[in-house]
Amino acid sequence: MAGSDDRKDDVRDEFLAEAQEIVESLSRDLLVLDQGQKEGHPDPDLVNEVFRGVHTLKGIAGMFGYHQVGAVAHALEDLLDDLRLGRVELTQDVLDVLFEGVENFQRLLGEAKGAGESADVDLSDYAQSIERVSAGGGRKETSLESYDLDPGVLAVLTEYEEHRLRTNVEQGVPLFRLVVRLSLASIDTALESLKTRAKPLAEIITYLPSMGESDGDAIDLEVLFASRASAERLEEVLGGDGARVEPVPRKDGHATVPPPERATVTSAPPAPTVAHVVAPPRPPPVPKTSAPPPISHDEPEDDEEAEIGGDQLSVRSVTNTVRVDIRKLDHLMNVVGELAIVRSAVARITDRIRARPELRQLALELHRVNRGFERHLGELQDGILDVRMVPLRQVFDRLARVVRQVAREHEKEIRLAVTGAETEVDKLIVEELSDPLMHIIRNAIDHGVEKPKVRELAGKPSTGTLALNAYQKGNHVVIEVEDDGAGMSEDKLFETAVRRGVVTEDSRADMTRQEIFNLIFQPGFTTRSSITDISGRGMGMDVVKTNINRLGGIVDVQSEHGIGTKLTITLPVTLAIIRALVVEVSGRVFCIPLTAVQEALLLDARAIRTVEGREVLTLRGGTLPLCRLSSLFALAPRRERPSKRYVVVTSLGQKRVGFVVDGLQGQQDIVIKALGRSLSRVRGFAGATDLGDQRVALVVDAPALMEEVLGGADRVLTAGEVS
Amino acid sequence: MPGVGTPLRILVVEDSSAMRAFVRATLEDAGGVEVQEAQSGFEALRLLPRQVFDLVIVDVNMPDINGLELVSFMRRSQEHQGTPLLIISTEASARDRERGLSLGANAYLSKPFQPEQLRAAVAELLAG
Amino acid sequence: MSDEIVRAKTVLPAAVAHQVGSAEPEIVYEVLAFVIAQERYALPLASVREILKVPSITEVPRAPRDVLGIISVRGRIITVVDLRRRLRMAEAAIDKGARVLLVDDGRELLGLLVDRVLSVYRLRQDEVELAAVMGGDTADYVTGIGRPKASKGTRDAEARTQEEMLILLDPGPLLRR
Repeated sequence: MAGSDDRKDDVRDEFLAEAQEIVESLSRDLLVLDQGQKEGHPDPDLVNEVFRGVHTLKGIAGMFGYHQVGAVAHALEDLLDDLRLGRVELTQDVLDVLFEGVENFQRLLGEAKGAGESADVDLSDYAQSIERVSAGGGRKETSLESYDLDPGVLAVLTEYEEHRLRTNVEQGVPLFRLVVRLSLASIDTALESLKTRAKPLAEIITYLPSMGESDGDAIDLEVLFASRASAERLEEVLGGDGARVEPVPRKDGHATVPPPERATVTSAPPAPTVAHVVAPPRPPPVPKTSAPPPISHDEPEDDEEAEIGGDQLSVRSVTNTVRVDIRKLDHLMNVVGELAIVRSAVARITDRIRARPELRQLALELHRVNRGFERHLGELQDGILDVRMVPLRQVFDRLARVVRQVAREHEKEIRLAVTGAETEVDKLIVEELSDPLMHIIRNAIDHGVEKPKVRELAGKPSTGTLALNAYQKGNHVVIEVEDDGAGMSEDKLFETAVRRGVVTEDSRADMTRQEIFNLIFQPGFTTRSSITDISGRGMGMDVVKTNINRLGGIVDVQSEHGIGTKLTITLPVTLAIIRALVVEVSGRVFCIPLTAVQEALLLDARAIRTVEGREVLTLRGGTLPLCRLSSLFALAPRRERPSKRYVVVTSLGQKRVGFVVDGLQGQQDIVIKALGRSLSRVRGFAGATDLGDQRVALVVDAPALMEEVLGGADRVLTAGEVS
Repeated sequence: MPGVGTPLRILVVEDSSAMRAFVRATLEDAGGVEVQEAQSGFEALRLLPRQVFDLVIVDVNMPDINGLELVSFMRRSQEHQGTPLLIISTEASARDRERGLSLGANAYLSKPFQPEQLRAAVAELLAG
Repeated sequence: MSDEIVRAKTVLPAAVAHQVGSAEPEIVYEVLAFVIAQERYALPLASVREILKVPSITEVPRAPRDVLGIISVRGRIITVVDLRRRLRMAEAAIDKGARVLLVDDGRELLGLLVDRVLSVYRLRQDEVELAAVMGGDTADYVTGIGRPKASKGTRDAEARTQEEMLILLDPGPLLRR
């Protein structure tokens, strides 16, 4: 090209972007075809779609000198041509070859992006694979003679469209013509609507435009299509508004009534997704999966059906939807951060330009542009956060399968009732939630819900109910897992805890009912003497709690013996919002993330002892090292000594530290914000937050402070001493 | 190609964005040319009745309205009966070329082609 | 006074300089002048984003000595630096005229506590003495000295020049640590 290299690069980038887009949609279409093939009705339109994609890819690859991409596309194009003309049957073997093609494209494009030119990739094996599944036979051309088609129409068909026309004629699908006048202003929407309505019924071969007698604001469109539906039905769906449908007459005088459907004919896909879809004349069968008998499903039953018919929907209908690796979003967030730095750099340069008198105006403009840039950057950041939000349905669907499986393994009858699956949470949280929820559910089925016989004896319905509810509450999302099983007995639970060394016998008096239930989250606690193969798998409830805490969430348990158990998980909507304990130290206010806080209690000064030069407290039989935050932070007292002090007990794994504070101001949801760069070297703070009443408070980094207090591993006084 | 006076207006109808970028870069770099893009036959239909072009470049294989139909449409319309028409196609097929030419296109370029080939073809059509 | 100054910055048209008459030397520097411990300083106007009345500042334990603490400006946490401490001057109580300047040092937005904000100056080439020219030991954060001339016929030019000597500061070296 005569132009600059930049321009050349732009064009090349354009190619790579388009090629990537094509390959990605190929991959999506193939997945749907795979599903369709397994269910016995692959969508012929989709085969055409894949063909078209590969065809375009071949064309542009040739233009831009990516010959290997072109070669693979060319080989696949022939195979796909055979497929859509029915010369080759779509089998799993063929799909394997097609998927491998996608892999090859990805690889070649990846290399093209990296190296700037395509490296040599040995494709001879792949060529052989294609060869193996291809028909290899000659192409027979069906005659279109039998139809009274306007030669003017035939003349404007591309080879591709003619193939499609022949295929339909070959299969005995009658041809129709629709004539419609469309206003140029609304041609796009009108056409989209027409296509949508036609999709379940017909295959559109082509559109022939003509100016007609109109004055230039409208065009006449003749749409040629093939359909097995009756002319009346087609008229009903596609006609109206000046549009009329007429059959293309056959020369042999055959009636235009559709011939009976042949068994080999692939019917239209079952999946029209768009609103005003008209049911096809014969609804395609929705395959039923045989659900295991003992479980009845409330909502998931519907889900299941939606999933099978709907899997195609979700993938096909949303061609505008892209699946994104969460790391890419993280990366984008980082890029946003980098852009903020770029913005500052531009501001600096603007200053320098401003110093040049002749460039002042330019500097001003640059400054204005940079302001706009900054604003958009903020929008970008918000946008990315929004993209991260996904419905809990993703994890709930998986749980439904677990419920079915575990119930079957345990010969229990369980009905799963789900509400609030559409509640949205940060993608990262959803991912991390999967394991803990899975465990809670296994636990509920294993320990909670009784076997049918036992339930009947207890006067309960033999089918147990497991409810999975989610809802948003302020800045939080609450997920409840509730069963109507045996519940937990406070006494038995406490006994076990003592036996397992989680608590000492004498601590019972100090403990509330809630605290006793919460013992199930203590390390080393299991209510069953034998570890079953279900709940025993890898994870205890303590790990569940740790995982949830790590997400800034809390988990709580309520139970009634004989009635059931409910676990409530409260999570922040995004990881940036947490719940904190607001404390006062020497007249200053600090926030301690609640995830780190075990409890807070009034300090009994007389109970303080000194061990190896450090103040400690005995708490429920364990030794708790104390640390006065006022001295740790070297805070000068701002007012007279408080008469009362409190200890905030923080825990990190097995370690515990009691931080002595002057006052407790309660709990609050806070948004942690990073401290500025100039404070990055200050240790002990996770950030700061606006408490809402003009007060800015520092958020302590509890784990860091604890490590600081405890020194090294050698001086650790562990809570584990109690066991 | 003339480099003075009002730029020549060329319409490129092509569904591949990479191809459009290629054509635009090739022609605009030569100077004196203003390239307008249409990414589908329908978009072209909306532009054609309202604007005058010195040359229209049409890809044959496009979804919905294909290039041949567009050629036929233009040749049947009063405004575009005489507009020079260049068809391009990924099909190295004699059939499409002949159809295109018989429908009234002035020249045919088969993909892949070099920038020089495109410039030469365009120059020839504009000169004629 | 504070807010007006800020707005003036963004709308200041370049044309103003030309209206004065093409014979006049062009305006080179636009600075915001302020006082710390009786000394007059100035920062490039473009680096000053906002001028705030002193909000309640949250002290940060373990922070460097010249960091007064943090404030929240429309949800963003900003570190406030005490210029008196950074410039090693005697400390004084914060009085009513004190302001916090939000200054972009190129890496982050910092708050700068000053005793009093004066006004915006547009300095022409002949009113600025650059540090590079001045020679001697100048701190790296001093760009030069500004001596805005009196308008014609107002007061004794010499006295005014003396009075209005400004130490021009470079926010980058001044604030980055």
